Amino acid sequence: MGLLAAGIGAGIAAVGAGVGIGMIGKGAVESIARQPEASGDIRGAMILTAALIEGVALIGAIVCILLALGIGQ
Amino acid sequence: MLRACRRLFVTFLLVLFFTPFTQASEKSAQDSEGAPIDVVGKVADHHELAVLGYHIPLPRIMLVDGEWYFYGSTEGAVESGEFVEEDGALVPASGAHITLDMSVTSHLMYVWFGLILTLWITIAMARKYKRGTGRKTEPKGWFQNMFEIVFVFIRDDVAKTNIPDGKYRKFVPYLFTVFIGITFMNLFGLLPWGATATADITVTAVLAAFTFIITQWNGSKDHWEHVFWFPGVPGWMRIILTPIEIIGLFTKPFALAVRLFANMLSGKIMIICILGLIFIFAEIFGNIAGIGMSLFAVPLTVGLYVLKAFVGILQAYIFTLLSAVFIGMAAEEHSHEEGVEAHA
Repeated sequence: MGLLAAGIGAGIAAVGAGVGIGMIGKGAVESIARQPEASGDIRGAMILTAALIEGVALIGAIVCILLALGIGQ
Repeated sequence: MLRACRRLFVTFLLVLFFTPFTQASEKSAQDSEGAPIDVVGKVADHHELAVLGYHIPLPRIMLVDGEWYFYGSTEGAVESGEFVEEDGALVPASGAHITLDMSVTSHLMYVWFGLILTLWITIAMARKYKRGTGRKTEPKGWFQNMFEIVFVFIRDDVAKTNIPDGKYRKFVPYLFTVFIGITFMNLFGLLPWGATATADITVTAVLAAFTFIITQWNGSKDHWEHVFWFPGVPGWMRIILTPIEIIGLFTKPFALAVRLFANMLSGKIMIICILGLIFIFAEIFGNIAGIGMSLFAVPLTVGLYVLKAFVGILQAYIFTLLSAVFIGMAAEEHSHEEGVEAHA
């Protein structure tokens, strides 16, 4: 059951991070298209926000790795 | 000088290219058929340094019941009779517990390699600038130019934009050291037999602890006011907000550590898994399927390798950027007339 939970958990974490980072990318591309001269600042903010989301998703992924390896049982 | 260096580099590359084959043939002759690939063992910490297929033992330093034990290698510790090996870990023969294990491990060695390289580069460049090259004249050579680009990038785009004016200068050395050091540690994992030191939670936790200490040490009065006595909210809200803010102090460096660790670890595991697909296919569907899978898996691994090199630099940048953001948030002093939105 631990393996199943790990698989499902990793999948959900990936879905969440994918949706989040996708929305950031959408927002960044739209604003760069609207204001190309601010692309540098927007890129910086985009990477920062994507990193924050990624951090949460990776914490989920680490929990899943721990589950799959059976650590803590 | 440069020619000699280049020749040495090419020779080194050739040696690297040929030794895997000799190693592989020796290994397959030794190992029994059908042994499973040890994915976790590949990314775990070891008490030996693998160079060109040879295993150099690293010293074991252990504190057991107030007494220090020093050995040149794990074998030496076992031979002395004081310790026995159980499940790959050393256990005192007397049945006591190891209080403190200060053994040098492969990941620690790679941290040191990264730091030595960082020190060497920065001291060499600082000497050059002291002599006047780059200050009075233009920078000389590709190396100094590259160094200057990276340094100016960290100073202007990372430190200056995120840390308030007049304070950022103090933090540039730390941010630059962290960036260069993590980049080297990440990229060492791409070398054959190299280990990614940052794919170890202890290494990244120490790095994040540095950021945490620097952040809190330089926290302004406003920073602590926000933590313990949030301004501009009704009094009873502070019962909820203060614990959240205190937890928030610790989750920031925790996320910093886990992000770097998980990124580097996942890259390694992914490469091993995709290469492992070849053997899984060969096992289940026969050798032809294994060969067919290798046509797919090997180019994919090459692509992943390039991605890993990119991710290594990107994660070093993100670690540095977030460190700068956290330090900047704590060091900021602002007037409270800005309204509640400014505190969000």
